Amino acid sequence: MQALPTAASARAHARPPKVVGWLLLAPLLVWLAAFVVLPLLVLLVYSFCQRDDLGRVVFSFTWENYERVFSPLYLRILGRSIGYAGLTTIICLVIGFPVAWFIARQTPARRNRLLLLVMIPFWTNFLIRTYAWIVILKGEGLLNALLQYGRIIAEPIELLYTPFAVLTGLVYAYLPFMILPIYVSAEKVDGSLVEAAHDLGAGPLRAFSSVIIPLTQPGILAGVLLVFVPAIGMFAITDLMGGAQVPLIGNVIQNQFLRARNWPFGAALGVVFTLLFVVTYALAQRRRRRHA
Amino acid sequence: MSTPSTSRSLLPSGLKLLQWGLGTWTALVFAFLYLPIGVLIFYSFNTSRLNIRWEGFTFHWYERLASNEPILRALQNSLIIATVTTLASVVLGTAGAWILYRYRFRFTGAIQTLVCLPMVMPEIVMGISLLVLFTVLTLPLGFTTVIIAHITFCFPFVLVAVQARLQGIDPALEEAALDLGATPFQAFWLVIVPALKPAILSGALMAFTLSLDELIVTFFTANAATRTLPLQVFGLAKTGLNPMLNALSAVFIVSTIAFVLFSEHLRRLARPSGAPHS
Amino acid sequence: MKIIPCLRILTLTVLCACAVPLRAADQELNLFAWSEYVPQGVLEAFEEETGITVNYETFASGEEMLAKLIAGGTAYDLIQPPDYIAEALIKNRLLLPVDFAQVPNFRHILAEYKGMPHDPEQKFTVPYMTGTVGIVVNTERIKTPIRGVKDLFSPQHKGRIVVVDDGRELVTAALYVLGHPLNNITPETLEQTRPLLAEWFNLIKLFDSDSPKTALLNGDVDLGYVWGGEAAALWNEDRKFQYVLPAEGAHLFVDVLAIPVGAKNLQAAHAFLDFVLRPEVSRQISDEFPYTNPNGEARKLLTDAQRANPASYPPARPLDTFRHLGDTGALIDELVTDLKNAR
Repeated sequence: MQALPTAASARAHARPPKVVGWLLLAPLLVWLAAFVVLPLLVLLVYSFCQRDDLGRVVFSFTWENYERVFSPLYLRILGRSIGYAGLTTIICLVIGFPVAWFIARQTPARRNRLLLLVMIPFWTNFLIRTYAWIVILKGEGLLNALLQYGRIIAEPIELLYTPFAVLTGLVYAYLPFMILPIYVSAEKVDGSLVEAAHDLGAGPLRAFSSVIIPLTQPGILAGVLLVFVPAIGMFAITDLMGGAQVPLIGNVIQNQFLRARNWPFGAALGVVFTLLFVVTYALAQRRRRRHA
Repeated sequence: MSTPSTSRSLLPSGLKLLQWGLGTWTALVFAFLYLPIGVLIFYSFNTSRLNIRWEGFTFHWYERLASNEPILRALQNSLIIATVTTLASVVLGTAGAWILYRYRFRFTGAIQTLVCLPMVMPEIVMGISLLVLFTVLTLPLGFTTVIIAHITFCFPFVLVAVQARLQGIDPALEEAALDLGATPFQAFWLVIVPALKPAILSGALMAFTLSLDELIVTFFTANAATRTLPLQVFGLAKTGLNPMLNALSAVFIVSTIAFVLFSEHLRRLARPSGAPHS
Repeated sequence: MKIIPCLRILTLTVLCACAVPLRAADQELNLFAWSEYVPQGVLEAFEEETGITVNYETFASGEEMLAKLIAGGTAYDLIQPPDYIAEALIKNRLLLPVDFAQVPNFRHILAEYKGMPHDPEQKFTVPYMTGTVGIVVNTERIKTPIRGVKDLFSPQHKGRIVVVDDGRELVTAALYVLGHPLNNITPETLEQTRPLLAEWFNLIKLFDSDSPKTALLNGDVDLGYVWGGEAAALWNEDRKFQYVLPAEGAHLFVDVLAIPVGAKNLQAAHAFLDFVLRPEVSRQISDEFPYTNPNGEARKLLTDAQRANPASYPPARPLDTFRHLGDTGALIDELVTDLKNAR
C-alpha cells in the first residue's frame, strides 16, 4: 500500500540544488524570462505611458491609466468575471470528478481511450462547436423541441442569450481541463484503499470524504487552477452564447487594443489582472506550506 | 504501479452500486460532450449555404472540401504547429515539474508563480507583447514565432498536471534506483517517467487541444504562410460559416475516433490476449 | 513509444512547409486584407498572369489590422483598411502615395467614390468595396412600418433586436436621432447620447458584429441594425428580410486598398491594384461578396438580380462617411462598457 502523500514528505525529499540543479532548471528559466517576463516588462512600461490617436504608445509618464482601472466600473466587471469563473469551476468539479474517478478505475487500455474521447470533441473548431450549441439552444432549437415533446414545457423558453447559455458554454469548454488533472491523481489511488475503508465500516460518503478526497487533492487543486484561471479572462463564449450583453474583463482588455485604441490602458488592466493573480497564488501557496 | 480495482465480483454490494452510478454519470457526461458534435456532423449534410436552418441532404460540402486548398492547408498548418507545440511542451513541462520537485530552490515559489502567468495573461496582451518582442529581435513571423508563442501558453498545463502526479510519488523510488547504480538521468527516465505517464498523456492532450484552437495569439504571431484553421474559420464567419467547415470537423473527428478505436484493435490482434500491456 | 518515426515525419513536414516560400518566384506581394474578401480565384488568376506570388494574410476587423500593423513584424506591400483608419494612417504618414499612372483601370471607379473625405486629394487609396449600415426587418413577423432608428428602438420590439457590437455605429445612430452630424463626436455630444442609448440597450437582445444574420435566421430576433453585407446575405436567403436605410440618417463605409510605408515591392502592389480594378475581375469579387461595388464598369456586368438586391444597391441618396476622430474611440468604448454594465 502506498504511503499517504503529504507535502511535508515531498519537501523533505527535495534537496539543495547545487550547480547541477540550477543548470537543469536553466532552460525553463530562460524560456520564462524571454517569453513571459520580458513581454510583461514591456506591458508594465506601456501601462505608465500615454498614447497617440492610433493607440500607439507615447513615452511620457502618467498614473492616469491606473486611476481608471480602479474605478467602480472596471472593478464591478472584474467581480462579475470572477463570479462566472468561480461558478464554472464549481460545476466542472461536481460534474467532472465522478467521471475522472470512473475512468481511473478502468483497465489501462480503456483508460487511455476514454481519456482521448474526453478531449476529442475539442479538436473541432471553437466557432463551429459554438454554433452547434446555438442550434441546440435557440428558440426553435433541439432542446426546446425535446422539452415540448416531453410535455415539460408548453411554450418554447428562452435559453440562448441568457446566463444559462453562458454557463453551459463555459462548463462545456472547461470540463476536460477539470477531468484530466483529477484523473492524473485518481489513477494513482489504490482501489483496495477504498475497499478497505468500506470493510472498516465506512459508508460511501465517509470513504469519499476521508479517503478519496485527500488522495486526489493534488489533482483537484490542479484542475481548479486550470479551469478557474483561464475562465476569468474568457469572453468569446459569453459573446456568442450570451449575446455580448454584459462586459467581462477579457472583453474590456481586448477592446482597449482592438476598439478603443488605448494600448496603455489595456496594458494597465493587464498588469493589475496579472498582479491580482500573483498575490492570490502566492498567498495560497504560503498557506498550504504552513499547513503542511 | 497502480492497479484497477481487482476481482470485481468480490466487490461489496454498496461499492457495486456506486460503480454502476459512476458509469451512468460518465455516460451522461459523454453524451453532453458529444451532443454538439453530433449536431455539427448532422449539419454537414445540409444543403443550406448559411448553415443555420435545415433544408435538405447533400454530400456537396464534402466534395467542396476536398478541393478547397486554403482550408486543407490551414488544417495542415494547425496540425504541424499543435504537434510540435505538444512535444516541446511535454519536454519542458515534465522536466520542469520534476526539477522543481526534486530540488529545493531558493525561489521555488516565485518560479512556480511565473510558470502559471501565461495562463493568466489575456491572449491579446500576450499576442501583442510577443509581436513587439519578435519585432525588436527581428525574428520574422512564421512557424517559429507561432510555435514559440504556443509553447509559452501550453507548457504550464503539462507542468501543472505533472506536478499533481508528482505529489506523493514515493521518494524511495528514485533513491532505490540510484542505490542500484543508475545515473540520475536513468533514474528519471526509467523510474520516474513511467510513473508520470498518465500525467504526461493528460498534459499532452491539453496542450494539443489548446494549440489547435487558439486564435488571438496566433493572429499576432503568424504570417501568410502559417495561417491556421481557427484564423481561416473566424474569417469565414463574416460571409457565413458554411457546412463545409462542419464537414471538415466531421471528417477530422470521425477519423480520429476511428483511429483511436482501430489502433487498439490492431494492437490486440498483434498481441495474443493475456499478454501484459506496456 | 513511436516517437522517433513521428519526429522524423514531423521534421520533414516542417522542412517542406518552410521550403515553400523559398521555392516561390522571386517576385512576391505581401497582402494584408480582410479574410474572405479577395476571392481565391482572383488571387490565382493574378499569380498566373504576373508570376507574382501573393502572400495573403488576413484579419477579421480593421482595428485588428491596425494593431498588428503598428506592432511591427511583416513588411506589407498592400493593406486593406476601412476609410477612417486609412485617414488616420495618412495623417500619421504611414501610407505611401499610389502612382496612378501605373493604375489605368482606376478610371472605372465612379466619380462619387473618388476624392472622398478620408483621402480628399485622391493620392493614397483605391476604393475596393463599399457598403452601408442599416435596418433589417423580418417582414413576416413585424407588421408595423419601420422607417428609421426611432421605429426600430420602440418598446414594442423589446427583446427582438440584434445590433452590431460596435460602439461607434450605435453612437452614430443616436447622433442621427438627436439631429447631430455623424462625425460630431465630442465628450458633450457623447454625454447627450447616453440616456437614449441606455433606453435602447434595454430593448436589445444581443450584440453581434461577426454574424448578426444568425439570430435573425434562427428567428430569435426579428429586427437588426447590421452591416449591409449581412443584410444582402439575408435577402439572398429569404426575401422576407427587407433592408431599410434609416430615415434619420445613414452613412457609407468604404474599404480601400493602400500601400503602407515600408512596402518592399511597389511594382507588384501597383500591378495588383490595377488587376482588381479590371471590370471583369471586380465583377468576380461582387459575385462572391454582395457588397456595393464602386467600379462603374463592373456594375454593368452584374446580373439584374445582383443589382436588385436592396442591401447591396439601396436607392441612391447622398451618404456621408466616418471620419478619423483622433482619440475619441476610448470615450465611446467607456460609454458603451458603462451602459452594458448597468444593464
